[in-house]
Amino acid sequence: MRHPTDGTLRRLLDEPAGVAEADRQHVAGCPVCLSGLAAAQRDAALTASALGADPAVDVDAGWSRLSQSVAVDGHRLRPDAAKGFRRSTAAARRWRTALRKPLVAGVAAVALLTGASAAAAADWLQVFRTEQIAPVTLTQADLVELPDLSAYGTVEVTEEADVREVADAAGAERATGLSVPLVSELPRGVTGEPTFQVGGRVDAVFTFSVEKARRVAATVGEPLPTPPPGLDGSQFRLSAGPGLAAVWSEARGVPALIVARLVAPSAYSAGIPFEKAVGYLLTLPGLPDAVAAQLRGFSGDGTTLPLPVNARYLTSSTADVGGLPATVLASRDGALAGVVWVHDGVVTAVAGSLSTAEVLSVARRLGTR
Amino acid sequence: MDLIGPGPTAPAAVAPGVPSANGRGRAAGRPERRDGVAVSTPPGPGSVRADLEQVFRAAYPRVVAVAARVLGSRDEAEDVAQEVFLTFGRSSVPADEAAGWLSVAAAHTALNHLRSGRRRASREEAAGDNSAVCPDVADAVVTLDERRRVRAALARLPHKQAVALVLRHSGLSYAEVAAALDLSPGSVGTTVRRAESALREELTRHASSD
Repeated sequence: MRHPTDGTLRRLLDEPAGVAEADRQHVAGCPVCLSGLAAAQRDAALTASALGADPAVDVDAGWSRLSQSVAVDGHRLRPDAAKGFRRSTAAARRWRTALRKPLVAGVAAVALLTGASAAAAADWLQVFRTEQIAPVTLTQADLVELPDLSAYGTVEVTEEADVREVADAAGAERATGLSVPLVSELPRGVTGEPTFQVGGRVDAVFTFSVEKARRVAATVGEPLPTPPPGLDGSQFRLSAGPGLAAVWSEARGVPALIVARLVAPSAYSAGIPFEKAVGYLLTLPGLPDAVAAQLRGFSGDGTTLPLPVNARYLTSSTADVGGLPATVLASRDGALAGVVWVHDGVVTAVAGSLSTAEVLSVARRLGTR
Repeated sequence: MDLIGPGPTAPAAVAPGVPSANGRGRAAGRPERRDGVAVSTPPGPGSVRADLEQVFRAAYPRVVAVAARVLGSRDEAEDVAQEVFLTFGRSSVPADEAAGWLSVAAAHTALNHLRSGRRRASREEAAGDNSAVCPDVADAVVTLDERRRVRAALARLPHKQAVALVLRHSGLSYAEVAAALDLSPGSVGTTVRRAESALREELTRHASSD
């Protein structure tokens, strides 16, 4: 069977039901199409990011303005004097967008360095296991310039997360094998029962290509630094998950509190050591020096997962949760905060439109069902 | 999106360029009900349709969001939304097709603003204020410079690709985008994919040449 078109692969991302069953089956078993699908997914994500999120708008003010613009039939257009716009709306919108796909977001943040599928193949050597998380402060320009791994080889997504909602905590536990954190006392303003989302493991194999890297270097007019012996064609297996999230929503559907748990990322190598490859990648042209230096520092012990933090919007600090070091993130406008930590290979995060003290309070009192 | 369906719906009546707001030819002039949904009575000259406020309140955030994806600025997007609703207010677009029509009109109008240079230069300077589209935490956020690149790249895309891209990323289904652009649903994926690929190439090229 011939391969489905790029357009079909693209639709598969958005409306799988709109794609013929035969095409879906073909893609599921075709490495070429899976690679194309992954490329389409990356471009779609980049575009979504570039086009931006929904802005908060003041409908009352907008209506007032429009009704003034419409000169006639004023009786039909009652300028509504209510100026109920609240600053919190903007923050709430931001949350809604950020948390729309909490597991996906969590996984995406770590995808760059993640690892390890079915330690199935005996020749896969574990080279990275998340034991702690440390924030790496990046500027927006740095984020934009972080290299897309596909420019340096091929990335084949072998398992996708399949994020979905389940009925209850028990369902979330069954689906993921993880224990659902129990929130003993909800922060003020957070009420009701949470909804539960789960996602399976994300698994990808990255194959380094010296030729591709050379082409990237050529586009910026620089020679490719000499690659370490054995790097060309080396494979790295990256995986994370499964994971689950309990989400408490406000009346309008905005997440007020989210508690998420995810099997921590790890990486395996079938060729040269992962750190060596990462160290080399970091010397490639195009990566900002500051970022390279920071990331190099973290890859030293192979256990610390760098969590990119956008310095313009977020501040980071450290705290203690149950004796474990935790990273605390807070938005500069004070509208949202989160805390994340790792224990026994499992990442747990608590976040919401709350204060730092509130998320820490929830985090420190988490129990298990 | 659930307000417009596949087939020759009102958005198809929007000429690439300025929205014609002319739903006439289908429901205009004939008060009627279709599928239990009220179809608006066409307003007389100089008057506005009676359901304008109701439609405005339901659709304004969405219309601003569509325009903001093109323009990268909430203030400019609200200007475009006002323009679109003014046109809509004097149109006889069927009420059940209003949401789709408005999204398509917002995309066309915003792209026209982008291309015709009617954007106020001062807006470019306003990156740090609240007019900026709210970034979100999970996605890479866009700096002023980056935003400028995105807008430039959008303006360089073929018009149909740009509209398809913006509508799809604003949540319209493939059937709705197809209806709006007179494409087959099957070719919407191809059009969107090409646009995303072109956008990525533009952004990568500019990012690496800086």
